[in-house]
Amino acid sequence: MLPDADHRAVVEFIYREARLADEARYAEWLGLWTDDGVYWVPASTDPAADPDKHISHIYDNRGRIETRVKLLQTGYRHSQEPASHMRRLVSNIETAQADNGELVAESNFVLAELAIQAKRELHWWVGRTTHRLRRVGAELKMCRKKVVLVNAAEPLPNLSFLI
Amino acid sequence: MSSLAPIPAIDYKTLVQDDRVHASLYTDPRIFDDEMERIFRRGWVFVGHDSEIPGTGDFVTRRIGTEPVIMVRGVDGDVAVLVNRCMHRGTMVCPADRGHVRTFTCPYHGWTYDVSGALLGVPYPGGYGAFDKSAHGLTRAPRVSSYRGFVFASLSPTGIPLSEHLGLATRLIDRSCDLSPVGEIELTAGWVKHRCAANWKALPENDSDGYHLGFVHRSLFMTVRSQYQRVVGDEKAIKAVVRDWGNGHMEIDWSPGYQGPFEWLGGASGPAVADFTAALERRDGPELARRRMREGPAHVLIFPNLFVGETNIAIVEPVSVEECVHWHTPMFLKGAPELNSRLLRMAEAGMGPASFLMPDDLIIAARNQLGLHARTAPWLELGRGLNRERVDADGRTVSHVTDETTNRALWRHYRTVMTEA
Repeated sequence: MLPDADHRAVVEFIYREARLADEARYAEWLGLWTDDGVYWVPASTDPAADPDKHISHIYDNRGRIETRVKLLQTGYRHSQEPASHMRRLVSNIETAQADNGELVAESNFVLAELAIQAKRELHWWVGRTTHRLRRVGAELKMCRKKVVLVNAAEPLPNLSFLI
Repeated sequence: MSSLAPIPAIDYKTLVQDDRVHASLYTDPRIFDDEMERIFRRGWVFVGHDSEIPGTGDFVTRRIGTEPVIMVRGVDGDVAVLVNRCMHRGTMVCPADRGHVRTFTCPYHGWTYDVSGALLGVPYPGGYGAFDKSAHGLTRAPRVSSYRGFVFASLSPTGIPLSEHLGLATRLIDRSCDLSPVGEIELTAGWVKHRCAANWKALPENDSDGYHLGFVHRSLFMTVRSQYQRVVGDEKAIKAVVRDWGNGHMEIDWSPGYQGPFEWLGGASGPAVADFTAALERRDGPELARRRMREGPAHVLIFPNLFVGETNIAIVEPVSVEECVHWHTPMFLKGAPELNSRLLRMAEAGMGPASFLMPDDLIIAARNQLGLHARTAPWLELGRGLNRERVDADGRTVSHVTDETTNRALWRHYRTVMTEA
């Protein structure tokens, strides 16, 4: 575990990131990323899944993260128009420092998504997230976010919101 | 006491007309059951690709319609399609998506089969009198056939051969495979499965619909430039076409709108494609190689469930009358590693639940499904382009890319299949 002050800062970052994603506050969420950010949601729960060989649900570099957000901001991203109603619980947070000084947090989440765009179904999303954070000036920024869904390899409904 | 009214026979000739179809075709569970029998059990259905199971004992599990099957490579090197159901009491013998086995052993009572489906042994055989093991092998799809690595199966022992089912559409499979310098595609990246709250036919219809792009995908067109940009804007300036290849196979051909090489890849030049270009030129000569690089891979729906979707391969899986799954994987070109990493990233951009295109298609399909429950207005209009489509020298009907020639091609074949004796 990180020293208390760092641990608290990481936990606060993760809670804030979750809230911005839940509330479709796209520009603020995008502002949490470093310029070299990588956003990865594998299509498999296999720890050996290799994003250069195996297909992922999401494997975005910074440019593609921006495209993802811009689509949501057009008002014509039908699969998120209107945006799903969402709340996620983040728990079991464990923190550590990587050799290169980045702060690493692993956590579990449960997300309830009311997909109101067609059938108005409640979808449950469950998984484990790894955040890697870096200090940029006085702020923490996210340089990597990996989300492994428990059902990553099963047929999934639309996942065009920010997970 | 009331008695049940007799269920009237389904009159497909009334439900499927030349320029309109009836909403019940998407919502009636009896019609779904009928389709599973007539289309998915009797006809040819795409199961998987050779490259997914390179060695003896390699397998993947799939469904033919709603019937669970195993596609497995036998000791002779041939591909068998086995019904994934123990012949004892019906347990699915293989629960995994993919893997490698020497035998399939049922977890219930230990009946064990080899990879050809033959029953090897039964625990405690003393409980059986005269027991003929050879009569209790896993059921094999009676007909399995492949074209350029695409494996198709039919659960019916009789019917037309695969070559007749594919007809001229093999040219489109060739167009995609021949982009590989060694003429082979490889499906090795794994599959993404995307759930859709709509009838399965919505997927082939949408995959071959050139009319919706500027509307359903407006968010993408507003955000980034893509190779599909040419289909939005002035109707008369659009050069892409749709084609009906017969037997329900339907194509969108973007290539008349492409001017240079690799536009289908979103553009590519220089050292990144130098080796690839040289390899194609060595094999095909400069002229044909240039044409291939300009035209790019095919965009064709092979009836009923295979979508050779430009740089992706997709499968349409029916689940129930109002639910289906769209599977996809990038179409890797063997011998072109420099392109395959791009094809992988393109697959993630275009298809799947978190991509920039498909979620919008599937949410519209789900809204379509909801709208089709409005029985005061039960017809879907499919007459677009009847005023301008034409028949080419090969007998294929061709029209403007936004025309419903493809939908009509699907439904005409559907009506034939659903009314055959």
